Amino acid sequence: MKADIYEMLVRNGLNRRSVLKGTASTSALALLGSTGIGRAARAQDDIRAQILQIPGVGAGTPTDADWQKVGELCLGGTRQTVEDGEFAGVELKFMGLNNQNQHNVIFRGMLKAWEKYTGAKIEWIDLAQADYNARLQQSIATGTVDFDILEMGAPFEGDVCGRGLASEVPDWVKELIDMDDYVDYLKAPVGTWKGKTYRISIDGDCHTFSYRTDYFANPEFKDAWAAEGHEGEFAPPGTWQQVQEISKFLAGKTDPLSGLPAHGYLDPLKGWGGFGFYFLESRATAYAKYPGDPAWLFDPETMKPRVNNPAFVRAIQDVLDIMPDQPADQINADPGTTGFQQFLAGTGSMLSWWGDIGSNARTSDSSVVGDVVAFRILPGSDDVYNSNTGEWEQTYNEAPNMAYIGWGVYVMSTVEGDEQKKKAAWSAAAHLGGKDLSLWLSAYPSGFQPYRNSHFQYDEWEAAGYDRAYIEDYLGSNLDSYNHPNAAIEPRIPGIFQYYSVAEDELAKGYAGQYGSAQETADAIAAAWEKITDQIGREQQIALYKESLGL
Amino acid sequence: MHGSAGLLVLVAFAQAAWMLGWIDPGFTSWRPTLYAYVLWCVCLCTGQVLLKGEHGKRLVFVLPAALFTVAMVVFPLVFGLTIAFTDWNLASLQGGHFNGLGNIRQMWEDPFFWNALTNMIWYSLAIIIEYGIAFGLAILLNGQIRARKFFRVAFLMPLMLSPVAVSWMVGKSMLEARFGPIARLVRWLGWENPSFFGTPEIARAMIMMMDAWTFIPFMMIMILAGLQAIPRELNEAAYVDGATPWQNFWKITFPLMLPVSITAIMIRIIFKLKLADIIINVTSGGPGGATDSVTSFIFREYRDRSNVGYGTLLAMVYLVLIIIAMTVLMKFADRWTNPKYQR
Repeated sequence: MKADIYEMLVRNGLNRRSVLKGTASTSALALLGSTGIGRAARAQDDIRAQILQIPGVGAGTPTDADWQKVGELCLGGTRQTVEDGEFAGVELKFMGLNNQNQHNVIFRGMLKAWEKYTGAKIEWIDLAQADYNARLQQSIATGTVDFDILEMGAPFEGDVCGRGLASEVPDWVKELIDMDDYVDYLKAPVGTWKGKTYRISIDGDCHTFSYRTDYFANPEFKDAWAAEGHEGEFAPPGTWQQVQEISKFLAGKTDPLSGLPAHGYLDPLKGWGGFGFYFLESRATAYAKYPGDPAWLFDPETMKPRVNNPAFVRAIQDVLDIMPDQPADQINADPGTTGFQQFLAGTGSMLSWWGDIGSNARTSDSSVVGDVVAFRILPGSDDVYNSNTGEWEQTYNEAPNMAYIGWGVYVMSTVEGDEQKKKAAWSAAAHLGGKDLSLWLSAYPSGFQPYRNSHFQYDEWEAAGYDRAYIEDYLGSNLDSYNHPNAAIEPRIPGIFQYYSVAEDELAKGYAGQYGSAQETADAIAAAWEKITDQIGREQQIALYKESLGL
Repeated sequence: MHGSAGLLVLVAFAQAAWMLGWIDPGFTSWRPTLYAYVLWCVCLCTGQVLLKGEHGKRLVFVLPAALFTVAMVVFPLVFGLTIAFTDWNLASLQGGHFNGLGNIRQMWEDPFFWNALTNMIWYSLAIIIEYGIAFGLAILLNGQIRARKFFRVAFLMPLMLSPVAVSWMVGKSMLEARFGPIARLVRWLGWENPSFFGTPEIARAMIMMMDAWTFIPFMMIMILAGLQAIPRELNEAAYVDGATPWQNFWKITFPLMLPVSITAIMIRIIFKLKLADIIINVTSGGPGGATDSVTSFIFREYRDRSNVGYGTLLAMVYLVLIIIAMTVLMKFADRWTNPKYQR
């Protein structure tokens, strides 16, 4: 949807959620029309309904048996395109993440039936989140790509596709997995390089804002809020300024669910192999992403970092300001800790995380907040920094952070010389990126969030056991973020995770008081970024950065 | 022979010249040098056997060891040295470029590296305390106590765990700030918001304690073996002569245990110089690099920043420092234990 039409609709009384919901419904209807209505479609629906009952919301965390069942039920696409036993003797290596017992761990179960049917064997290379970037970067730089299939995020496409290490998606795969179903921001140029498509998306990825409704419905907190003279009602925050105010207000109070100390917003203060930087970004985008200007991390003409401009410095200062009010030992909390060991386990009241925290909240055994959690897009700001003028402008701004642009499955060019192996690799990738299977991955703990238009059919989720209000809220926060006209899209440039890794390293030092101020911390990051840009090649980075921004 | 050696030098020089950008000989990796070296070895051996007969065959027997040494020691060292003076970053499409003393300058100005080096000294000094505890435990287990075998096994248990397991079990579970049993205990004792890894001093102490807990049994078992090797008659004779238990320990047991103690301490220092796994798992060097050891710092330079050039230089510098420090220590150890230096 064009930004001006979108703004007009919002101005004329429709709220953001209803506009985007309408868009999703229209897309879903269009999708039904394009696929044809008939017996095949009904059979498809049956499978979707069937897999969403495995194990069913409220029936505990899915197990390996569940993953295998889902994998087997979703084997239709493979049966259409591959003969029984066609890949006998083929061995493939699959490199991916084993984070939080998700990703590769689930893929194993999902691909069991595929292996049995096709005769191929898969060897797994599992990586912890903190090791992922280094392992991949090392393979790329030293030309030792020892895997055939790779689970990778779009930010690495510059490193991988730009060096000709990936195999182009064959047309039969594109058709089989229905790529047109992806939400708009995952369509080309994401997944493509120089006009060729290299990726099967298996994830959406954006940061949304989760908060505890029991905090904001608590009458004691409401009374205390009024008694302390705060402006307005004690309610979920709409801006980062309010997040700060609420976090400070909650210090010293008691969590209504656990009886332990109450806390406001949870910042991950420890690095996570570069992934931790996204969390500072999520605080900063509302300040730093100026509407109409797609660049917000670097200056597109010079690659001069913007990470030490007043907007980012303010975000760092925000973190420093509420650090004393965060849970004890927060300095050692990485994003995995804030999401899974803290927020889902009942510590803290507000969190930025990838959207899949919503499916985890209701379907993971480790969650105690499933009944008291709600979602929205990332908070906005009362003002926004314009990098071009160097001035703050007093206008409300929001800019959801499209952090990581989703995981995808890529097949490496190592298979190019062997047609059978190539077909096998793409068949396995297509199985994981299949339309029905992806619905299950979105609805249950997997590390992935909804990313297809067809994932936003609320009735399907309701039939799985989610209640309507919850699912509208959860899916709505994802949709609102994906379709936001001022969404902060991250660049796909070589070495992006080195920028992030250095940044989170310097941030950790800043949070630990090794630098004198937020500005000094930001300057240290900027200096390190400048060095990386020079090492990689400034001119090339400028060109690729501009290309990734569509400039 | 000299001709083939000359050829090797020539190829190596050509490769170096290519790497420095002086010439473009047409090959793009170190492999030609290695092939040339193997070729040289084959030519040399064949020539020796042909020219010198039986006498020349000796070289053939040396060849496997020589090749192994070159492949495993000389080549990595030379390769490492060439990388250490480049700005190689893994994301760079062009690879690394020779940057002279740039990495040394960076190291000199890097406060976080010096902090890691200082930490390393503190971590190593903790061995003195570890040694004291290990000696005490060894004496205890060498005495006539009940269930001696059980206690020996029990005290040895930590040594059977890998440091990674210890870091998860102790660092991530028992010391977890909210629900960890130790955190609960200290909260009950009055520390309201325990944070075992939140402040530099406490975090460093915790790292030292976890590392010590893992490796004290190693020192203990070595000292225990030493204690059991001391003839009982020596102590019994001293007691008959009226020596107190303290005199017995200080004048007889301790001096006799000195060689074993020195060996245990030296091996422990070698373990300690590699200390990284617990730090990486528990604190990632934090808060803000405060708990980094040199090894964990170098690891993070490679893993998180992909700075191969700078990381390699640090590794080389650390290697040199270790060689110097260990040489000095060996010298002292020799003086303490070798009878020729003792009056």
